[in-house]
Amino acid sequence: MKKIYPLILIFTFASLAIFLLLPEISGSRTLSEYYINSGVKDTGVINLVTAILFDYRGFDTLGEATVIFGVASAITFLIPKRKASMTSARFSPIVNQIIKLVIPFLVILGFYLIFYGHLSPGGGFTGGVVLATISILFTITFGIAYSQKMWSYKAKSLMESFGGMTFISIGLIGVVAGSNFLANGQAMFALGKSGDLLSGGTVPLLNLATGIKVGAGLAIIFNSMIKED
Amino acid sequence: MDLLIFLIILPLFTAFALGVINYFFESFVFPIIIGSSLVHLFLTIRVASLAFGSPIGYYLGGWDSSIGIALLMDPLAAVMSILISSLFFLAVIYSIKYIKDYILKYYILLFLLLTGTMGMVMTGDIFNLYVFFEITSIASYSLAAIKKEDGGVEGPFRYLMIGSFSGLFLLLGIIVIYFSLGTLNMAQIALGFGSLDSFIQVSILALMTIGFGTKFALVPLHTWLPDSYPKAPAPFNLLSSGIVVKSFIYALIRIIYTLFGIDLLKEIGFSAILVYWGVLTFIIGHTLAYQQDNIKKLLGYSTIAHIGYITVGFGILSHKGIVGALYHLINHGIMKGALFLTLGIFIYYFNTHKIEDLKSLGYILPMSGVFFVIASLSMVGLPPFNGFISKWLIIEGAIESGYILAAFMIPIGSYISLTYYLKIFRMLYSKPEDGMKAKRVDWRLNTPALILTMCCVLLGILPQFPLHLLEKVPSFLLNSQKYITVFLGGS
Amino acid sequence: MRFAYLIVVILFCQGLYIILTKSNLIKMIMGFSIAESALIMLLVLIGYREGGTVPIIYRDFSTVVDPIPQALALTAIVIGASITAVMLAFTIKIHKKYGTIDLNEIKELRNQ
Repeated sequence: MKKIYPLILIFTFASLAIFLLLPEISGSRTLSEYYINSGVKDTGVINLVTAILFDYRGFDTLGEATVIFGVASAITFLIPKRKASMTSARFSPIVNQIIKLVIPFLVILGFYLIFYGHLSPGGGFTGGVVLATISILFTITFGIAYSQKMWSYKAKSLMESFGGMTFISIGLIGVVAGSNFLANGQAMFALGKSGDLLSGGTVPLLNLATGIKVGAGLAIIFNSMIKED
Repeated sequence: MDLLIFLIILPLFTAFALGVINYFFESFVFPIIIGSSLVHLFLTIRVASLAFGSPIGYYLGGWDSSIGIALLMDPLAAVMSILISSLFFLAVIYSIKYIKDYILKYYILLFLLLTGTMGMVMTGDIFNLYVFFEITSIASYSLAAIKKEDGGVEGPFRYLMIGSFSGLFLLLGIIVIYFSLGTLNMAQIALGFGSLDSFIQVSILALMTIGFGTKFALVPLHTWLPDSYPKAPAPFNLLSSGIVVKSFIYALIRIIYTLFGIDLLKEIGFSAILVYWGVLTFIIGHTLAYQQDNIKKLLGYSTIAHIGYITVGFGILSHKGIVGALYHLINHGIMKGALFLTLGIFIYYFNTHKIEDLKSLGYILPMSGVFFVIASLSMVGLPPFNGFISKWLIIEGAIESGYILAAFMIPIGSYISLTYYLKIFRMLYSKPEDGMKAKRVDWRLNTPALILTMCCVLLGILPQFPLHLLEKVPSFLLNSQKYITVFLGGS
Repeated sequence: MRFAYLIVVILFCQGLYIILTKSNLIKMIMGFSIAESALIMLLVLIGYREGGTVPIIYRDFSTVVDPIPQALALTAIVIGASITAVMLAFTIKIHKKYGTIDLNEIKELRNQ
C-alpha cells in the first residue's frame, strides 16, 4: 500500500513528460549555428566541444572542477580512516607484472588525451580520469600503503590545489591583458593555426590544469573511499 | 566594471590556496582567511554601491552576452551580495573560536559555499546557475556533517538525497528550456519565452519551482531542513538559514520574474498559488516549531515559517510586496543569525540542546541572554525591532493587492511564534540555583552576536536607510524588459 | 527519435521510483544514477541532427551535431559523479554507525 502513491505520482509525471517531449519542438538554433560557423575562427580550436567547454563557457568548467575539489575535501573528512582492508586481496605475479607494463601506456594515453583535447575527442576531464586510474590501479593491485607511498595524500592534494590555482591564474591573465576573465582570443592571445598542436591560445593550458586537477581529485576520492577498518 | 568577477574568484582562489598555504606557511592560514573575507566584504560593498546607481554587467571571456556567460549585478543582486558577504564575515570571526574539528577542510568548504552563493546571485546564465547551485549544495551537505564525535549522519544524508533529487528536476527544466529555445542566456530566454506553447511554459515553471522550492523548504518539501540542523556547527546554521536558503529563494524569484514576467504570472494564477503556499508554509512551520523540544530544530522550523512570509511577499507581485519581502529576507538573516550565534555560545559553554537545558542561563550569561531575547522578540515581529517593520510592509502589500486572508494570517502566525519563544524565555530566566556565577564569554564569540543584535535594533528604529536602498529594487524585478535591455545592451 | 525519448522517460521515471520506494541506501543511490543518466541521454539526444558528424571541424562537412548539449552533458556527468561519491561516503558513515544500510532497520535502531 505504501508503494501505491509513488507509483501514481511517477505515472502522472511520466505521462506529462511524454507529452512534453513528444512534440517536435523546433526552437531557434542560432547559438549552435554560431558556434559551428565561427567557433574555429574565434577560438582556433577545431574540437567545438572543447571550444565551448574551455573558451565560450570556461566559467562552467571552472565550476565543475570546483565541484570535484569540494567533494574531494569533503570525503577526506567524512571517511577519516587511515587503514584499509582491501590490501589483503593478493594477486598473482601475472597481474602485478601486467599492471607494471600497462602503466607507462596509461601515462602516455592520459597526457595524449589532455594535450590533444582541442584537436580530437578527449580533453582535460577525460585525460584526468585516465591519470586517476593509474593511482587506482596501484591501490587495487599493490595495496593502499604502496599507492600512498608513490603519491601521498598531501602531494595529490597539493597537485589539486595547484591545478585550480593555475586555472584561475590563466583566467586572470585575460584581465591583465585588458580583457575579461578567462579571455582567450579576445585578449590577443596568439591562437595559432587551427589544427596544430600549439593552437587555441589558452585552451591547451586550461586543459592541462583541469587534467591534473581532476586526476588528483578523483584519485583522492577513490583512495579515501577504499579506506575502512 | 572589472571588480565584479573578483567577488566570485577571490573566495574560490582562497579555497584552492588554503591547502597550499597550510602546507608551506602554516601560521598564515588564519590571517589569510580573515583577510580574504574582509577584502571580499569591502569589494562587495564597493561594487554594490556602484550597482545601486546603474546595473553592472560582466562578460566572461570578453564574449558577447548572448554567446558566452554573462554576470549581472542589479540592485536586487547587490542587496543579496551585501547580506551574504557580511554574514559570511561574521561567521568566519565566530568560527575561529567555535570550530575545533577539521579546521582546514571547514574553511575550504566555507569559502566554496561563499563562491557558490555569490555565483548564484550574480550569474545571468541558466546552466551556470545550475553549476553554482550544485557547488552550494555540496558545500552545505558536507558542512552539515562536519562534526567529529556523535556525528549526526542521517539528517545530512536526508538533506543530500532530497537535495540531489531536486537537482534532477532543475537540470530537467534547464534541458527543456534549451531544447525549446536553443539558448541558455536568461535575457534571451525571457525574450523568446512568450512564443512558447503554454503547456511547456507551465512545465518549466513547475520544474523550477520544485527544483528550487525543495532547496528553500517550501512546506511539503521541507523535511530535510530541521533534521540537518541539530548536529551541525552553529556558524553553519547561521549561514544555512541566512545565506544558502536565501540565495535559492533569490534564484527562483529571479527566474520566474524575469522569464515569465508579471503579466503571465498573474494570468496563470501563480501569484495566488505563491501567496497561499506561503501562508500554508508559515502556519505549518510555526505549528511544528511549537512542538519541538530541541532548540536548533525549533529554530529550523521557524526558518521554514519565515520563508513562508518571504514567499507571501514575493508572491504578491507588487512594489510594496517585493520591498517588504526583501526587507524581511535581510532581517531574517540578521535575527536568525543572532539567535543561532547566541545559541552557539550556550552550546559552547554548557552543551545545551534541549529547551530544559537552558535553565537559568539568562543569569549565568547575562549578555547572551539579552541578545537571545531581543532577537526572538524581533523574530516574533514586535515593535520596535526590525521584524515588525518588514512584516508590516508585507501585510500592507497583501491588503493592497486584495489578499485579505493572507494579511490576516500573518499576525496569527506571529502569535504562535510568540508562544514558543515565551516558553524558552521562561526557561532562560527561571530562578537560578545558589552558587551560580556569571561567566565571561570569549570576545570572538560575543562580538558577531552583538553586531547582529545591534542590527536588529538599528534596522527597526531607523528603517529609512535600508528601505531607501530597497526602493530601487522592484522596478527591475517588475519590469523584466529593463533587465533584458541592460543585459543585452552591452556594458 | 521518438523511441529514444520514450526510453529516456522510462529510465528517468524508473530512477525516481527507485529513489522514492526503496529502503536500501545503495539502491537509492543507484536510482539517482539511473535518473541522472537518463538526463544525460536526453542532453545528447536533443543535440542530435539527422546525418550529423562529430563536432570536430577539420574538413568539409555538411551537418554537424549540436556541440552545446555535449558540453553541458560533460558538466552534468562530472557533477552527477561527484554527488554519487558524496552519497556513497555518507552511506559508509551510516553503515559504520548502525551496521546496516536499510532505512527501516535504521529507523528501528534510532527508536530504541
